Amino acid sequence: MAFSLSFIPKRIHKTFANLRTGIVLLILVVIASAMGTFVLQRPATDADKLAQAYSPNTLRWLDRLMLTNVFHSWWFLTLLGLVSLSIVLVSVDRFPNAWRFYARPYRKTDWHFRAALPHKVELPIKNAEDGLNAAERALKKLGWPVERAAYKNEPSLYSERHRFSVMAVYIVHASLLLIFAGGIIDGAFGYSGFLALHKGQTDNVIELRSGGKKHLPFAVKCYAAGQDNYADGSPKKWWSKLAVVQDGKEIESKEIVVNDPLVYQGLRFYQSSYWLDNRAVDSLQVAWVAKDGKETPLQLKMNQPVALDSDATVSLVDYIPDAFVRDGQVFKKSDDIENPAFGLEVKDRATAEVSKVWLLPAHDIVLGGENLNYQFKNPTSAQDIAWAAVTGLEVSHEPGQWLVWTGVLLMSAGLGVAFYMVHMRLWVVAIPDAKGNLVLWVGGQANKNRDRFEQKFNDVVEGIRSELERESAISRPVREEQPELTLAGVKQ
Amino acid sequence: MATRARVVRMEPPAATGGNALLVLVGLSVVFLLIVALLGVAKSGGSLISESNFLYVALIFYAGAGSLYMGFGVTGTPRYVRYASVATSIGLAANTLAVAHRWYLSGRPPFASVYEMLLSFVWAVAAMTLIAEKKFGVKIIGSITMPLAVVCVILMQLLPSEVRPLVPALQSTWLHVHVTLAMLSYAACALSCALAMMFLIQDNFQTETFLAWTSAMVSAIYVAIVATRFERWGGLSVTGWNAQTKSDIFLGQGMRLFVTVPDLGWLFVIAALAAIAPLFLYFAGRVKNDGSFYGTANKAVFISILLQLVVVAAFVLRVRDAAYPSPDQDGLFPTSLAASPFLLGGMVTGIFASLLYLMLLWRRADLQGLLPSADTLDRVTYKTIGIAFPLLTGMIAAGAYWANRTWGSYWSWDPKETWAAITWLVYAGYLHMRITRGWRGRRAAYFAILGFGVVIFTFLGVTYLLPGLHAYA
Repeated sequence: MAFSLSFIPKRIHKTFANLRTGIVLLILVVIASAMGTFVLQRPATDADKLAQAYSPNTLRWLDRLMLTNVFHSWWFLTLLGLVSLSIVLVSVDRFPNAWRFYARPYRKTDWHFRAALPHKVELPIKNAEDGLNAAERALKKLGWPVERAAYKNEPSLYSERHRFSVMAVYIVHASLLLIFAGGIIDGAFGYSGFLALHKGQTDNVIELRSGGKKHLPFAVKCYAAGQDNYADGSPKKWWSKLAVVQDGKEIESKEIVVNDPLVYQGLRFYQSSYWLDNRAVDSLQVAWVAKDGKETPLQLKMNQPVALDSDATVSLVDYIPDAFVRDGQVFKKSDDIENPAFGLEVKDRATAEVSKVWLLPAHDIVLGGENLNYQFKNPTSAQDIAWAAVTGLEVSHEPGQWLVWTGVLLMSAGLGVAFYMVHMRLWVVAIPDAKGNLVLWVGGQANKNRDRFEQKFNDVVEGIRSELERESAISRPVREEQPELTLAGVKQ
Repeated sequence: MATRARVVRMEPPAATGGNALLVLVGLSVVFLLIVALLGVAKSGGSLISESNFLYVALIFYAGAGSLYMGFGVTGTPRYVRYASVATSIGLAANTLAVAHRWYLSGRPPFASVYEMLLSFVWAVAAMTLIAEKKFGVKIIGSITMPLAVVCVILMQLLPSEVRPLVPALQSTWLHVHVTLAMLSYAACALSCALAMMFLIQDNFQTETFLAWTSAMVSAIYVAIVATRFERWGGLSVTGWNAQTKSDIFLGQGMRLFVTVPDLGWLFVIAALAAIAPLFLYFAGRVKNDGSFYGTANKAVFISILLQLVVVAAFVLRVRDAAYPSPDQDGLFPTSLAASPFLLGGMVTGIFASLLYLMLLWRRADLQGLLPSADTLDRVTYKTIGIAFPLLTGMIAAGAYWANRTWGSYWSWDPKETWAAITWLVYAGYLHMRITRGWRGRRAAYFAILGFGVVIFTFLGVTYLLPGLHAYA
């Protein structure tokens, strides 16, 4: 046999080519998957929560049995591997027979075959050739393809539809293997990670979900990111304006939203989260007072100098979320937003002299720059401080996904064919009946949906009957074999 | 035509009077509609609203269910005709409810458990009518209509306001995925109902039905007692925040439970009453004494009465009351809306027991009315032949969508995993049937098991195993 896999020991081959083994394996997969949903899984659940849910001893055993990471454990992957092996071997064992059936359809009928066929009718005729011609015309009229065949002096017609449907099972199984293959490729060569970008930031290092970092050959720049809300305040849209930068050149740009990622070189960047970083400031709304008491509002952006008048510029250069003051100096206390401090630099254009001013709105303190011509005022409300927007990008590389999608499409097609395409066959033979009178024997078979086929078969029989009637007036009434298999539409 | 002639071997016994039920159901429907109409008129609200349509659907589904059951009991053909009409009207009202919600929110109702149940009930009713017309299984409504009623009652308790779509749900794939899911789940429900009918027609012993029904009811009550029974006989239920219309949370994912005093004992008694018939059944099996079964049937009757008492007590005590919590000082309000699944479980138990009584009393009539076992077996297979490709498409669409939203087509999220398990169970059914020639009983068990897994995937996973798939 062309398909024999002789390198696999016979015993193993036999075991895995057995459907029972396949079913046992499927049951094991079901049990293992169910356990994987009932036991909390790493790394989706963090260590604290696991420690809270299970006692240390239980957790140790769960870890040892890899029940805390079922779907990536070697034994689960082995199980899936064995399922694949089983599918392959079952198919290899059965395919040759199916192929023979497919490649060499059973065109000729013999006595045994005719006796066993479920749908059959005998129509009396006078002449074999005329009868077959009439049947051929009737079949063609109903859209059936017709072939002539002869066997032991029994001239006959053969007709079939949708023979391909016998192959559907193999398509479905092959597609399942394709999906598995895609999954394996992604497991082995794919990776996924996370990239958080501040507005204006460019980065090419992603934090892998498996731990560690990965340097990409190109960088991603975030021009802007934001959240749009519905009227009731719930989030409607998260978006980021991204660009791919390689060797200092911007190659591609796109505004991504949830459900619509940026794809570059097989890497996908998904809008995954969005937040405001309390530890960084994007812009600040303050005011300054000139010597003459005139107050001017001032919009400051991080590290972007703004002209105060023709003599000096100011820029926001420092931000400390929680600061304290000692001896006129500002120090950092923590990263929590308790006591924010904003550091400004005022630069004199003529002398290039720089003076530092600190704004501490929580205590309404302005530190430094007392002898400058420009006096600064603290921001008055929380709205004056715009925290830096950060976009959280999920990054994934799944080289096997195209195999998966091919598999999915193939499976849909295969299932459609398997369930809804019926292989129907008809045979018409001119033979003598039990009493020796020449009859046109019409038989048919379908591999599924027998009810529907019965109707079609009746249509065919009616068609042939009327063709025969037109050919020559039939004197005798029609007699049917096996009256208990009453065929609807055929009046008795 | 030919198929129907063969399938519907339904020469019903000569119509024996049998107007009583029609009049009763008709009057109840009219009465309930008038009460509802008066309610709307009094409150001055609009007649055209989703909740009114849904209420009409509920009334007609309940009426249809009663008539289907009445048909099962008496075989009066008029009942089934009117039951079909009632189902059609219910379906029309249900369609209007869906349409109104769709119109108001500008999107199909697919985005929460409430909305999915709305679509699911619609699909179940539609498939019931199709099964009735196409396959000639007239009595299928006596199983699917109670299911529809339970779902609509459950919906009354779930948060139903139209919420704007969160960003992840703003995708065409939502519609593809959920449509396929609802259609395949409805087809699975139908196959389960057909498989049960097959078991009846296949001379499956009434006692075995007794055992399974009691086992199911016992499981419901034992589960409630095991998880909710508090010291000194209380029953713990989730606290309800009337302002936000949601459960009260202590911390992330930690609900606040309050204790309803003394209600726990009632549940213990109901659990014992549900176990009693099961115990008697096994005693009868062991001692090989048929007289035990008679006692067991009496015990079922007692169990049903107790179940009714428990539901009534639960509704009266939990509806809009306030009780102390073991976790925090003070009284916290309760609402039926906070315990949809307790209530759903209890109502399911009552329906299951009533269906058993119907079988016990009218088995011979039922068998005369159902299509042949062979037909039922084939139709069950056909429905699964519809459900399986839909299920496959649902998973595939979900995977493709997940790939666009979560960054991976498969994340072994509990919902995904259970969808895969459902798929594997039905795949197992198909393999056993096609290559091993499993027909009849074993195939029917598989079909029923399959729907059990579907229900767990649909509702159980959402509430017990939270994950990425948090929307529904």
